[in-house]
Amino acid sequence: MSSTATRPDTSYFLRKLHSFTGVLPVGAFLAEHFWSNSAALVNAAKYDEVSRDLQTIPFRPFVEWGVIFLPMLFHGVYGVYIWLRGKSNVSAYPWVGNWLYATQRHTGLIAFAYIGWHLYTERWLTHGKSTYATVESDMQNPWYLLFFVVGILASSFHLGVGIWNFLCKWGLVATAKAQQAAGRLGVVVGVVFSIVGILIVISFRLNWHPFASYYISK
Amino acid sequence: MAETKQVIIRVKRQAGPKEPARWEDFSLKWRPSMNAIICLRDIAENPVTRDGKKTTPITYDSNCLEEICGSCAMLINGKARMACSALVDHLEQPIRLEPMSKFPLVRDLAVDRQFMFESLKRVKAWIPIDGTYDLGEGPRVSPEVQEKGYPLSNCITCGNCLEVCPQVNEHNQFVGAAIISQVRLFNMHPTGAMNKRERLEALMGPGGIQECANAQNCVHACPKGIPLTESIAEVNRDAWKQALLGWLLG
Ligand code: SF4
Ligand code: FES
Repeated sequence: MSSTATRPDTSYFLRKLHSFTGVLPVGAFLAEHFWSNSAALVNAAKYDEVSRDLQTIPFRPFVEWGVIFLPMLFHGVYGVYIWLRGKSNVSAYPWVGNWLYATQRHTGLIAFAYIGWHLYTERWLTHGKSTYATVESDMQNPWYLLFFVVGILASSFHLGVGIWNFLCKWGLVATAKAQQAAGRLGVVVGVVFSIVGILIVISFRLNWHPFASYYISK
Repeated sequence: MAETKQVIIRVKRQAGPKEPARWEDFSLKWRPSMNAIICLRDIAENPVTRDGKKTTPITYDSNCLEEICGSCAMLINGKARMACSALVDHLEQPIRLEPMSKFPLVRDLAVDRQFMFESLKRVKAWIPIDGTYDLGEGPRVSPEVQEKGYPLSNCITCGNCLEVCPQVNEHNQFVGAAIISQVRLFNMHPTGAMNKRERLEALMGPGGIQECANAQNCVHACPKGIPLTESIAEVNRDAWKQALLGWLLG
């Protein structure tokens, strides 16, 4: 055999990096973000404490840029490039996987736009010092509210499908049965993130604190 | 005497890749167990359109008529499938026949699948058994590997899996599911495994396995029921281990 075969090229590594960053750190950050924001479900004081703790993490600019902003930017920009190189055909072949393929692209773009706006309003304008009061007043604007809901649902869906894609594309689930199980895991992730995200929005909008009795002041 | 049943066929005709396309309708006499290829043969015997105009026989590929040669894939009512196993009685009429859209057109329903054969060469989809001297017997193939490999060896290179794949298109040179599945087949064979690394590296080049975006249409479209998504997952696992861990683990 000659050795004229093609060799791994950068597109391989960029694609793998795109797939990987979707789960780590971007997906993991989404989980952390929902976790810390669910402090709103306790009360305003708890939310502000959590927010203050996050503002005091060491090496903050490095962590923010290296672990959150840059990976997200890469995942989003390269994702758009991937979208442009595909050609959806759900109308001819309306199978579930094909629908997910198409929806994954649309929810990705919505999530990317939403996250950009969300970072601008809740991180840049507030210099990273959002408090319960600022978020609560933002939520009174119906357009903000709508964009939050759409953004949360799109991000949750994208993460759920993304986990399924990730497990299949790295060969961590191979048989049809295992891939179905991975699909169910993706559904659970998508649904849980959607519910928790919407509950947090409701909490801010209606000043609703179902876990208020948990609070112990510092 | 009862009126004879008719079959209405609508064929997309094109004299060559650069010629304009047009549709022609044909009305054929129904016969039991008729399939799309029989319709095309009937048209060739009497190339007259439904409205009585004389035309030319339709160009198409077919050979085995039993879903084993892979040459007769086309779009039937908008979906990629084998014409020889497309029974008229199971199809909505008028039956629309179009050439596959992801391969260069030759004429009418005939397309050129050379891209797939080039890709098979690129990934060395064979087992080298010849030397300048007698290489002797190869290692035995365990029944387990035989059982896994047999379904994969049924691929007929029809191209349906490429036709339905959203990642195979004019912007993207993705080799498609069939080629990846063949890499799995030859890599699992004990003699074929001697070139495993080469095949995986070829699959990580431009248009390689990374272009798969998990739409999973291929597995639904394959006329041979090949577990393509399983093949892609397994080869993906071998590929990233080779590419990302190869320098660490050797
Ligand atoms: S894998 Fe199936 S659909 Fe693809 S070329 Fe082979 S037989 Fe045809
Ligand atoms: S004629 Fe051989 S597969 Fe249809």
